[in-house]
Amino acid sequence: MRRLHARLALPALLILSLVVIALAVPFLGLPNPVRQDIPNRLTGMAPGAPLGRDEFGRDVFSRLLWGARTSLFVAFTATTIAALAGTLLGMLGGWFRGVAEFLSVRIADVILCFPPILLALLVVTIMGPGVATLILMLSVLYTPGFVRVAYGEVLSTRNQDFVTAMTALGATTPRILALTVLPNIASPLLVQYSLTLGAAIVVESGLSFLGLGVVPPTPSWGLMIRGARATMEQAPLLLLWPCLALTVTILAFNLLCDALRDAFDPKSAASVGTRPRPRLVDRFAPGLFPTRADSGAILSVRGLTVEIGTRRGVIRPVDDVSFTVGAGETLAIVGESGSGKSVTVTSLMGLLPAAARPVAGEAVFEGHDLLRRSPDQLRALRGARLAMIPQDPMSSLNPVHKVGDQVVEAILAHRSIARPAARAEALALFRRVGIADPERRLDAWPHEMSGGMRQRVMIAMAIANRPALLIADEPTTALDVTMQAQILDLLADLRRETGSALIFITHSLGVVAEIADTVMVMYAGQVVEQGPVASVFAAPFHPYTAALLAAVPQDDAAPEPIPGAVPPPHRFPQGCRFAPRCGHAQPPCGEAQPLRHFGNGREVRCARAGDLRLGRAAHDA
Amino acid sequence: MTPDAEPLLVAEHVSVSFSRKRLFGRGPAVRAVQDVSLRIGRGEAVGIVGESGSGKSTLGRLLLGLIKPASGEVRFDGSALQSLSRRDWRALRQRMQIVFQAPYGSLDPRRRIGSQIGDGLAIHRLAAPGQMPEAVRALLEQVGLDASHADRFPHEFSGGQRQRIGIARALASRPDFLVADEPVSSLDVSIQAQILDLLDRLRRELGLALVLISHDLAVVRHLCDRVVVMYLGRVMEEGPARSVLDAPRHPYTRALVSATPRIGAGGRPARILLPGEPPSPSAPPTGCVFRTRCSFAIAACGEAVPPLTQTNHDHGVACIRLADLP
Repeated sequence: MRRLHARLALPALLILSLVVIALAVPFLGLPNPVRQDIPNRLTGMAPGAPLGRDEFGRDVFSRLLWGARTSLFVAFTATTIAALAGTLLGMLGGWFRGVAEFLSVRIADVILCFPPILLALLVVTIMGPGVATLILMLSVLYTPGFVRVAYGEVLSTRNQDFVTAMTALGATTPRILALTVLPNIASPLLVQYSLTLGAAIVVESGLSFLGLGVVPPTPSWGLMIRGARATMEQAPLLLLWPCLALTVTILAFNLLCDALRDAFDPKSAASVGTRPRPRLVDRFAPGLFPTRADSGAILSVRGLTVEIGTRRGVIRPVDDVSFTVGAGETLAIVGESGSGKSVTVTSLMGLLPAAARPVAGEAVFEGHDLLRRSPDQLRALRGARLAMIPQDPMSSLNPVHKVGDQVVEAILAHRSIARPAARAEALALFRRVGIADPERRLDAWPHEMSGGMRQRVMIAMAIANRPALLIADEPTTALDVTMQAQILDLLADLRRETGSALIFITHSLGVVAEIADTVMVMYAGQVVEQGPVASVFAAPFHPYTAALLAAVPQDDAAPEPIPGAVPPPHRFPQGCRFAPRCGHAQPPCGEAQPLRHFGNGREVRCARAGDLRLGRAAHDA
Repeated sequence: MTPDAEPLLVAEHVSVSFSRKRLFGRGPAVRAVQDVSLRIGRGEAVGIVGESGSGKSTLGRLLLGLIKPASGEVRFDGSALQSLSRRDWRALRQRMQIVFQAPYGSLDPRRRIGSQIGDGLAIHRLAAPGQMPEAVRALLEQVGLDASHADRFPHEFSGGQRQRIGIARALASRPDFLVADEPVSSLDVSIQAQILDLLDRLRRELGLALVLISHDLAVVRHLCDRVVVMYLGRVMEEGPARSVLDAPRHPYTRALVSATPRIGAGGRPARILLPGEPPSPSAPPTGCVFRTRCSFAIAACGEAVPPLTQTNHDHGVACIRLADLP
């Protein structure tokens, strides 16, 4: 294991020493733990008996160590047997289903129905008390837990693509189970092992305490507690030592298994170092008073910059982004993953994660700067004047409420009208967004609807309070093309009717061409080009825009890949951020480029924007 | 052993349905694939297109023998997949491989990529244990990855790189038939083009027969020789990719082509909006499954399942109104 971090070291050391002690007890030259010394019974700490003597004058220290041997032996053996048997049965049941499933899971269920103490009494009555009985009883008791965990995990793992890939490779079933399935179900099993081990130690002690487990005079922690209880008033410390030993052991096991689980998972081990940590970043935002919006513009964003404090330093996923959207206008924001397009709009909605903050710029919406409004003011705006259509309508609808009720709630959240009136409005909205049989659909559950239908519900919710600005974040990405065509048509219709503005985030340039008036191309947190869609797509000025257009397969033009990938925010290049992937890069590109105006509403961030001929037009020429 | 006339893979009238177990008995059967026949020649690229619920992924797994057909037969290089012994079936796996949609779930998150790529070599004993690292390095280089990355874990790679790893894993056993199930649909366009390029290059270099399952018509048109259009488990139209996608005949293919967004004005036919939703695959319409959303449907469409009528050039259309369509 490469990453043996500190979390693993402490509990591992504790357990290792416990095991070593348990193994080495016979060689430590301790006083015989069962030799009685009645005259010296209940004497306190003394030379030769560091923790004193018990009710029969036996050395407590020696009994404690010998007891560790018994307790750990019983717990380890029983848990390991249960883990092996349970995992095997559960895996077979989950993999083969059918009869194997019936046998393993149903038998486990039957065993689980028995109260453990009752089962113990039954077994002890039949077999008589003793260590062997105890181990048998505990392993039977704990096998079902492992069966169920292994079974459930196998069920969810067996349909993963990488398991199918092994089948497709022709791997034998044992190979798949051992090499592919087992490692992927190991973490919950390890946790189960730690919990069971702890529980086994407790139950062993408990049963011994009740006289159903280890037979006196064999030392065991449970028996020691039982003995000490009788003399609690004369020698209270006798109770402390076995209890302390129990607590420390169980705690150590739990800590170890937690750490082991993390260490076995390559992803979580690595992420310890990279996970962004919230940091108090500079709250100061320049610009004391918001300027009034340009006439006609519903939203005007100037110099928006978002910072996130991470362990690798402060990153800027959005850097100096400016744009305006007029009434009835559609702006499309395009870019690859990591370009900052989603962070841009979530900062406008005031929905950034805690670690992220807009540190500069302004976003004037209907005369107020969104970046400087209080969370309460933003909440009042969201869903009313400013509404959002999410990418995945399934996870955005609450699965336990009927869709009609969710639309009614959206209306009531912002307007004080009677519930029946709101319901009538919801019905009209359903009709408006083209949901067939709207009366019945109001009472449908989200899972009863198809993806396209759910997206219509989300749109109905978004337009419920007649917003001035709709923000749609990849609203058709999860849909089929024929459904996508329906939704795009609906959005275009709604915009014409209501005159609301639309910001449309997408990675599909075809969709941009279908729906948008203006397009803003983002790369690595910056706007690299913006302007009217038709003119930008016909003759792009920025090499990145041209490369994106050329990467889409269409007609007989073969798609041309862009080499490399978008850099992560902590490794944005100093100069032009696209330069490392750009086929036209030259020395001036090593310096940061401003966004330059080119007339006709077109802006480009490229040192060579004047002298390059790009796009399909250039290919044809 | 095999007559040359027989294509590499032949599927004849395959059907399969799934049903969910209920408390008592079974739920309604979902007819995932119904009566599909298909031939794939050596080195040929065939695209299967259709929307969610069309059964295209199920068909891909049927062709690979990962799912057994309820009726019909799949033959690979002359041998019927369902009648093979377990041993022969496993041996045949060396020759047929699958590439999944990246980057989700296609790679085992807990194993180093080198060992995952090496699986195919180890299972079919294509490399001695000593030569394994060398062979894995060669595979990584073949798909355009840094050979020194073999001991990294999947999460250390980007989506595009993961797809390259998935392709390397599939190529390890030196297959001559590859099914790629939506291999680029969750990747950014620039990365998509990289992967399409790679698949195209490998296919030509290695003479692979390729089945590309995709909802993206442009991708299929670019990469495939032939295309099969599916709707609700049945083949609607089949033929040379260019002729089917540039001049679609079946009303469904027409709607599909017209709904695909295009860059640049012109070229796209007027958009045909399909009314309503696709019917449930557990209760498909009688006769032509598309008739409930088809603007050309007549009463006769509900009577019998339309056969695949050959027009010219190997181009088949399952529509009884073919002659009357505008």
